[in-house]
Amino acid sequence: MGTIAKIHEMLTTKQCSCTELTKSYLDEIQKSNGELNAYVNVTEEEALKTAETVDKKIASGEEIGLLEGVPMTLKDNLSTKGIETTCCSKILTGYKPIYNATVWDILASQNAVMLGKTNMDEFAMGSSCETSYFGGAANPFNTNHVSGGSSGGVASAVGANIAAYGLGSDTGGSIRQPASFCGIVGLKPTYGSVSRYGLIAYASSLDQIGPITKTVEDASIVFDAISEYDEKDSTSKGCMGGKTFSKLDNDIKGMKIGIAREYLDGVRDDVKEAVLNAAEVYRSLGAEIVYFDLPALKFALPVYYIIACAEASSNLGRYDGIRYGYKTEHYNGTHDMICRTRSEGFGEEVKRRILLGTYVLSAGYYDAYYKKAQNLRGTIVKAFNDAFKHCDVILAPTVPMTAFEMGHAVSDPVETYLTDICTVPVNIAGLPGVSVPCGFNAKGMPIGMQLIGKSFGEAEILNAAYKYQQAAGENFKDTKWGVKL
Amino acid sequence: MVTREDVENIALLSKLFVPEEELDSLTQSMQEIIDFADTINNAPTSGETFDNINNLSNVFREDEVVESYSSEEILKNAPEQAEDHFLVRNRE
Repeated sequence: MGTIAKIHEMLTTKQCSCTELTKSYLDEIQKSNGELNAYVNVTEEEALKTAETVDKKIASGEEIGLLEGVPMTLKDNLSTKGIETTCCSKILTGYKPIYNATVWDILASQNAVMLGKTNMDEFAMGSSCETSYFGGAANPFNTNHVSGGSSGGVASAVGANIAAYGLGSDTGGSIRQPASFCGIVGLKPTYGSVSRYGLIAYASSLDQIGPITKTVEDASIVFDAISEYDEKDSTSKGCMGGKTFSKLDNDIKGMKIGIAREYLDGVRDDVKEAVLNAAEVYRSLGAEIVYFDLPALKFALPVYYIIACAEASSNLGRYDGIRYGYKTEHYNGTHDMICRTRSEGFGEEVKRRILLGTYVLSAGYYDAYYKKAQNLRGTIVKAFNDAFKHCDVILAPTVPMTAFEMGHAVSDPVETYLTDICTVPVNIAGLPGVSVPCGFNAKGMPIGMQLIGKSFGEAEILNAAYKYQQAAGENFKDTKWGVKL
Repeated sequence: MVTREDVENIALLSKLFVPEEELDSLTQSMQEIIDFADTINNAPTSGETFDNINNLSNVFREDEVVESYSSEEILKNAPEQAEDHFLVRNRE
């Protein structure tokens, strides 16, 4: 498995040069991206340039860091200076940011080798990657199935070994859900622990950047690297819970793992069974399983859609065809120019969410929807705080089902929104959550479970996830694709 | 109840054009989503309020002049520019 530690060892023991390694990833992208559509922009030249820098360092006998020279990818809503960043929307085609997202500044300074930018639902609005202007990314376990969304491209690339790891963003499950669908690990950190500077905004009070990786250990390595305080993000707090790597292997004997009954409602049998089997694994490791009720979860999904769309309608007001991105060709007056630019530049789902957000914020509806949703957000935050009086971490499914076939999501918006039911509560409450592979269904599609922690409790959930991976490693599988290491 | 007029009005506020032939289907899908959003009105109103996550407070700094981007850089991505400004024509 192409893990970070493995690649680091190969580089330091000179089993291959960083240039050779990078080339083998680029070759595999060339071979498989036609079918997977994981990458929307391959940055070969930049990747090889960084690889050369790393090779020179190794040749001169200098020590290299763990992430140095490791080939990776970024979701296309993370700003990369001088490299096109589109959010997979027509309205941002050709846009080349003049600054880097802080997370990319951190990783670039450690000589991370960026292979390219990966596919996503347009402006991160979607659960299947299919709202992308460039078409959806395929699932490496079965290419007729979706990779999930919105960070589908990162998950597809990491699942298919055409990137060792990647960074995605998670507003309502966009890291954890595709990680679950593609049989890999996805960590949504606590709100504020990773700087959002340079992440193109969808819903600012919910958005959070995090790693998508092959293993729990890799998620911990990348999280530790990117969780730094940043003065450029006014909501940044840094790694308040401390770095996670040294705590991965802590004994979990006596750890209280909670299962909220509401999280199992409406979940497909195969998924439920896999999650309950994982609970048994925890019991065998000496953890205690406690069941409890979390009735506030019932309202999490509508609360999420109201708040997310309200914030999106405001955030996406900036796309006017004047300062960057796409602009309409023929118009009469500035109002007409802006309306035409936006109508031609945004896809259907983005327009629907802008309209919904504008509706819930407009006079006459504000109190009934937006204000009520904010009130319920407070209720949900409190319900989680109360739950953590009885347990240390919460175990739940990541998604109520496994990856569905392509074309299925587009038909019914409300039914598609239901796939987010297990992931959105974490964003509403700003908590950390990690999705970990916990089995396969009868058709061989991966199933993911989610571990939810207290605010800034990344070390605790990654510790629990790591112990599970050690005990049930058979659920972490390579696919037929990509670089074989 | 979401009406065609509501959708037209919201579209205007959002600076989006909705073609006449899409108005009915959009009104219907908006209605379905609003019906779904309406389920929160069955939730008991609690005394909880929500301001922000993690008890955030305002972040202040001294008002110092620091280096920033040149106007040339900032204008790089503009569809049209003239004389160090964004160019907005009245018609094209």
